[in-house]
Amino acid sequence: MSLPSLRNLHGPGRVLLLGLLLGMTILFWPTRELRSDNFVFYFPDKRQVIPVQMIGQTKYLPILTILNMVGKVGGLQEKRDSVKVWFGETPLEFKVKDRTVRVDKARVKLANPPLVSNGQWMVPVEFLTAVLPRLTNQVVEYPLGSNRVFIGDVKPTSFTVRLDQLPEGARLTLQFTDKVTIRTVATNGKWVMFLGERPVEPLEPTYSFKDPYVKELHFDDQDGLPKLILQPTSTGLNFYPALVEGGKVLLADVLKPTPSAAQQAQSAPPAAPGATPPTTQPGAPQTGAPGSIPSAPSPPSPPLPVVVLDPGHGGSDNGARARDGVLEKDLDAQVVARVRLALLATQKFRIVLTRTGDVTTSFEQRSQAANEANAVCFLTFHAGDLGPDSPQIALYTYAPPSPFSGPPNSSMPPAFIPWDNIQRLHIDSSRNLATSLQQQFMQIAGVKVDPPQGAPVRALRSINAPAVAIELGRLAPEVNSAPLTSSDFQQLIASAVTRVLINLRGGG
Amino acid sequence: MSRRAKVLLVILLAVLAAGAFYLRALSRRIFFEVPRHAEEAARARLNEVALQSRTGPSQTATLYFPSLGSGKLVPETRPITWAETDPDKVRQILLALIEGPHQNLARPLSTATNVRAVFLANDGTAYVDLSNEVLNGLTPGIETESLTVYSIVNSITANIPAVKRVRILIQGQEVETLDGHVDLTEAFVPDPSYIETAAP
Repeated sequence: MSLPSLRNLHGPGRVLLLGLLLGMTILFWPTRELRSDNFVFYFPDKRQVIPVQMIGQTKYLPILTILNMVGKVGGLQEKRDSVKVWFGETPLEFKVKDRTVRVDKARVKLANPPLVSNGQWMVPVEFLTAVLPRLTNQVVEYPLGSNRVFIGDVKPTSFTVRLDQLPEGARLTLQFTDKVTIRTVATNGKWVMFLGERPVEPLEPTYSFKDPYVKELHFDDQDGLPKLILQPTSTGLNFYPALVEGGKVLLADVLKPTPSAAQQAQSAPPAAPGATPPTTQPGAPQTGAPGSIPSAPSPPSPPLPVVVLDPGHGGSDNGARARDGVLEKDLDAQVVARVRLALLATQKFRIVLTRTGDVTTSFEQRSQAANEANAVCFLTFHAGDLGPDSPQIALYTYAPPSPFSGPPNSSMPPAFIPWDNIQRLHIDSSRNLATSLQQQFMQIAGVKVDPPQGAPVRALRSINAPAVAIELGRLAPEVNSAPLTSSDFQQLIASAVTRVLINLRGGG
Repeated sequence: MSRRAKVLLVILLAVLAAGAFYLRALSRRIFFEVPRHAEEAARARLNEVALQSRTGPSQTATLYFPSLGSGKLVPETRPITWAETDPDKVRQILLALIEGPHQNLARPLSTATNVRAVFLANDGTAYVDLSNEVLNGLTPGIETESLTVYSIVNSITANIPAVKRVRILIQGQEVETLDGHVDLTEAFVPDPSYIETAAP
């Protein structure tokens, strides 16, 4: 219907049309806008990452996960549209769409109402400042708009940033309020500087520059690891970070490579007097490794062996779920991120992930990613119900459901194996890899490790490389996930995997 | 516009809005709630028939249930009066696994699982068609799914010599995995490595 004819429409006709439009709008209006992100809780002795949901314009957090993290939930009484939770002796009561929360005998009004999402009771982020301090009797500091909370006696480090011009580049000077350590990794055309274990609270999340060498400095701690990400304006630049003044000042030089500078970069980075060399000095990252910034004059180096890491679940596939609401897909992503960083830090491997971010991928897509990268090793990470002990690790290699149905009289390996059953060629090497992983995991104190078991795991079937599935336990609705989400445990897993892969490559 | 026309318009708008809400609720019911078929009830009766058609002498069946924590299967023997035909015997084994262990062991299948159909091919492959409630209440994972599959396969092949391998179908369909982990695209032969060996 064209506009002039709409204008000519009078009386009931126009009303009917408007009514129809109204009805259709209500019918197709999305109920909620959902987006996931992470929220980091810093305590004096630990930190924990919790996925946050963006519902509409408000950040929501799972209430039971938060309460279990800061203390102990003594009981739970759930009704159709309300829930009563005992935090220690203190009862808390929430109602769907009711902004008033009952805390013992007091009533606290929130700006947004609690709600249930994916079967979890969610509270708006203002719960952290309005209710949580009453419950914990501790200081709860939540910098507005940020995704981090400091609970108890936590004094985060902050820093100021200054950019100066140099004859052949630029220098960033970061003045920290406390001593920091740094470890630098070049990835995806950026330099990532890990700032150690101390919590960090930046004054600004992102600093943008109008500079010919440095584009942006961004702070991120979404995975619980505070880090600075420096984005140069172009590839082919060299990076020389150095800590001075006892670790309180970071001088980060971004320089144009000169033929002599490029050759020296690997061995002797220029450093200010009294500079502390960083743990890892990437200098001019190696050519040919994706995620690094190729430096034009550096000599060609052999390609690094590729390790493929597969977060077992993601996107619409949540996997298992713990009592505190932690989903297997988030845990898998956390562990993979740590393993990836540990492997990258060795500068001995190139890492390919089968999914980046919370996306759904098919088994074929994941196999294709591994096989096209010519991987030397494939590891898929899962979590599930492995029995009452936690933490626990089970290792699986591929075992076909039935023997290969090739020519019955042939004792030799079959000449043709269907591409989607290619793992049958790597069963022995996969078993060796699993045994090495088991030996390293067994050195982690307090962790039960099951011997490797063959299983018809679909994610392994089509991988043309030694491949192992690692399942962590116990992630089940009856238990909380805390032993598995602990950053110490995950870091020990990452270190164990790194040791195994370095040993398998003959020390690199 | 007269007063009467205005009132009519308001009523019309209200009816339209209510209709839109009803339509929305109706569309959700249609898309998200699967109607239960009378077919399911018929299958349950078939299972009862299999259990009642026991004519042979009372014997012992060995069933394999997941242990609580070791990631292995533990044999449990119990007396059974076998049905006449092999497909009915397969059905009996499945129903016993669904019923659950008598010892302190874990359930391999949800109690809500329905055995939809059992066929036995000439090459010794038993086709077992289960409803999609198989893992209801169980945590999905590599270990859980492997133990479920080999609990079925090892129990059936250990008790019915005519069955050499087992192919599992879900809701009458060939599916890629049980619940995202274990490959169901092929028939399974029994795997003794899943059976817990007695401690020395």
